[in-house]
This record gives sequence, C-alpha cells and structure tokens, in this order.
Amino acid sequence: MTKGVNALAAARILLLSAAAVVVAFPLLWVAIASLKSPAQLNDPGLILFLPNLENWARVLEAGILNAAGRSAFVATVTVAFSVVAGSMGAYAISAYKAGGSATRFGILAAQVLPPAVLVFPFLTMAYALNINNTYVPIIFAHLSFVLPVITWFLIGFFDAVPRSLEEQARVDGFSRFAAFRLVVLPQVLPGIGAAAIFGFTLSWNDMFYGLILAPPRETILPVAISAFNTFRGVELGAMSAAIIIAVVPVVIASFFIQRRLVQGISGGAVKF
Amino acid sequence: MTRFRWGMLAPVLAATGVAVGFPLAYAFYLSLTDYKLTSRGAPDFVGLENYLFVLSDARMWNAFGNTATYVAVAVTVQTVLGLAIALALQKQQWARDVTRAMLLAPMFITPIAVGLTFRFLLNDQLGAIPAVLRSIGISYDFFGPSNALLTLSFIDVWQWTPFMVLLLLAGLESIPRQPLEAARVDGASAWYAFRRVVLPLLTPVLTVAVLLRSLDALKVFEYVYATTRGGPGTETETIQFFTYQTGIQFFRLGEASAVAFVLLAIVLTFIVILFRRLQRSAAR
Repeated sequence: MTKGVNALAAARILLLSAAAVVVAFPLLWVAIASLKSPAQLNDPGLILFLPNLENWARVLEAGILNAAGRSAFVATVTVAFSVVAGSMGAYAISAYKAGGSATRFGILAAQVLPPAVLVFPFLTMAYALNINNTYVPIIFAHLSFVLPVITWFLIGFFDAVPRSLEEQARVDGFSRFAAFRLVVLPQVLPGIGAAAIFGFTLSWNDMFYGLILAPPRETILPVAISAFNTFRGVELGAMSAAIIIAVVPVVIASFFIQRRLVQGISGGAVKF
Repeated sequence: MTRFRWGMLAPVLAATGVAVGFPLAYAFYLSLTDYKLTSRGAPDFVGLENYLFVLSDARMWNAFGNTATYVAVAVTVQTVLGLAIALALQKQQWARDVTRAMLLAPMFITPIAVGLTFRFLLNDQLGAIPAVLRSIGISYDFFGPSNALLTLSFIDVWQWTPFMVLLLLAGLESIPRQPLEAARVDGASAWYAFRRVVLPLLTPVLTVAVLLRSLDALKVFEYVYATTRGGPGTETETIQFFTYQTGIQFFRLGEASAVAFVLLAIVLTFIVILFRRLQRSAAR
C-alpha cells in the first residue's frame, strides 16, 4: 500500500519538475540571449560569457517602452469600461436572471467569433469616420473579446454571494442600485480585481487587431516586438530583450491572480 | 424591477452591439460585395459570388485542413497533459502557490513573444534544441516540410496546457469529497477511484475546457506570423492567417469576409451538434 503511494508521489514530483523545466527553459534561454553579442548568438551552446547590455540599449532606443505604454493605455481603457459595464451586467444576469439563459449563451458565443470576421468592419469604419490614426478602433476591437470574458467570469462570483445580503439591504432602505454598489459589489471585489488583471493581459497580449488597427507609427507592444522579427541574426538579441520586456509584467501579474482565477472558475464560471 | 434589470444590462448590451453586433452585420454585407481596400469607388453588390469563389478555392480548404490538424493535435495533447498536471498540482502542498503560478505562467504571455521565442530556440543554426539534438546525432528540422505544422501545435501545447490545467484544477477543487472518501473506505484503488469517481464528476468541466481551447486554437495567427508565415509552401497556412493575407496583403476584403463566415458557419454547426449531444447525455 505505502509502496504504491510512494511511487505515485514520486511520479507526481517528477511530472511537476519536468513541467517546471519545460516552462522555464525557453524563457531563461531568451533572457540569456538578450545579453549576448551578435557573434555570441551564433553559438547556441554558449552559457558562460561576458554579458553586455547593447541589445537592451537598442530596444530602448527603438522606443519599446513607448509601445509598452500605448499597450498599457489601450488595455486600461478597455478594462476600465469592461469592469464597470461587466459587473453591472453580470449582477443583472446572476441575481435577476436578466435575459435568461440566452444572455449567458450569447456572451459565450461572442468568444466564438474569429477576429478575422470583425477586423475588416473595424478597419473600414475607422477610415470612414476618419479615426484610423487614433486608438478608438483598437479599443473597440479589444472590447469585443475582453468585455464578454470579464462579464462571464464575474457571473460566477456574483452567483456565490448570498441573495439574503441584498434583501437585507433593501429592507434597510437601500435602493436596488445602492444595494448593488454598496453591499454586493464589495463582496466580489477580489473577483473583480482578478477579472480586471486577466482582462488586462488579454488586451496586452493581442497582436492581430493591433497589427491591422493600431496607428502604424504608434503601434502597440506585440506589433513592436514582431518588428524585430527579421531573418538577420543581428536582430535576435534585440528581439530577445523586447520579448523579456513584454513577458515580465504579465508573469508578475499572473502570480497574484492565479488563486483567484481557480476560485472564480470553480465558483461557477465554467457553467453554462 | 424590470427597469432595473434591463438598466443594469444596458451598458453591456450597448457595448456588445457596437463592438460585436454591428461589425458582424457589416462583415456579412462586405462578404456580399467586391470591396477592395485599394479601389476608391463604391463597392458593387455581387451576391454569393465571393462564397462560390472561396468554396471552390483549394487554398482555403488547405488552410481549413491545416487548422483542423493543428487544433486536433494541440488540444488532444493539452487535455492529457493538462489533466495529469492538474491532478499532480491538486496534491502538491510544498511551495503550492509558487508552483502553480509558475506552471500557469505561459498562458499569460503574449503569443507573438512565444512564437518568436520558439522560432529562435528551434532555429536550425542558432537554436539550442537543434544544437543539443545534433550533439547526440539527431538532425531534425523543426520548421522543415511535414514537420512545421506539428511544431506549431507543440508551441500551442507549451503556451496553452496551463489553461487546461487552470480549468481542470478548478474543476477538481469543486468536486465534493464524500464520493471519493466512500470509494477509499470501500478499498478502491487510486486508479479505480479516478476512473469511476473523479472522471465522471469532471466531465462537464473537461467538456467546457476542450471546447474553449478548441475555439481559441482555431484562431491561431501569431505563431504562424512569427515562425513560418504559412510555409514551407502552404503547409502551415492556417485559416486566420489565410484570411489576413487575403484581406490585408491582397486587399480583397469581400473575399476575406466570406472566408471568415464560412469558418463561423462550420464552428457554429460543430457547437450546435456538440450541445445536442451534451443535452441528450445529460437527459439520460
């Protein structure tokens, strides 16, 4: 009996260790590459070398931080709107069964739409309204996938709040909206935080819409990174540095939200 | 109360209407015209011409086939691997949060960065992995003919197995304890308890996870853009990449929109069939 348990425990630890190595290796490799000179990059086995910051200077010169700032701006506006509209909508769906199961299904169905369907209308509209040099088209495009996800995710959190809380607030003389804002909302604040960070990473990571809709000279981070994607080995170092700049903030964010994500999803976000 | 209910829902509905509903309707209109980004004149209404054209286009079907293979390979591997890792993580007590955060990290990274990382890592001359393989006498071209699509699938596995793990871990943690304990008291082996107790209870979450992952994998674009750009030949041209090329590089928005709607029709058919099945098995 104990022998079987031990073997199982060993297999478990082995699997997790292997997974950790597989996850970490590519990222470490890129981090190392960002410190190599062009000549050193031609030797993939080289691990001990004198690191230099030339690549980092190059990406910073190329304005990668400005691109990151624009990405953060787009993501912040998208998420701010999604959280306000999404939490109101999710509450109406959860507590008042607004729209019935059709809304729940509709929200999920929005996830099905391939970005390729929506992107061309956004593009032609941007030209027609003469806003193709602004961030408005890309923010609307990001809303099309961030808003449904945040709403869907928050329904699960609102489902977990006892209805009696709101009823008590109503008895105490709160209006329906005040009961929502002052009594129910604080209960799901951790969930809203996690949903907001998750929505932020979704917007931050999108490249397809950015490639087509962002102003060409003031593009967002994923598109800026891919601009280092040339067939010349010279650019690999700079590209590696750019990748690290995009990866670090989201990995830090993921550390803080993973527990809430598990909790939110097991709280009902996976139900239809 | 009705006013409050719809009032609360109004912002979501309005935003969805502007950001999803209108573009969707407009895209359908585009698919019925000969709209080109380059021509200044008003587009002509051409009816179903674009649809007839793309449906007889071998390159579009090739892209559909590539995408189907890509999704099937990636999602199958992710499901098996994700389930194993989720089960292991559930039991993991030591350094619990750090382990979880680390193993979930890839799904938060921008896909273009993942694609470029692997393009570099697997590159024949500059990459670490081919160098290691060469040192033990194996020569394998990750982006060569008949390998490239598989490589793309495995990039997907690297990035998105964590998503599977996240959903399945949440599913495992919401399974009630009693049935498992009952099975243990009855002397069931770990394997038997897993197959007869855990797996049936996990099936709804598993179904949703596979569905969400498949739908997302269908949209693959960044890896192709970062690594192969559809090559060698058209071996790794996926549907999203094909649409991008038709619409943005060749400016044929009408045709591109038609392709997107063909994809949408196929996906919706697939989902409706799946839901029918699910409802029938739930009714049983």
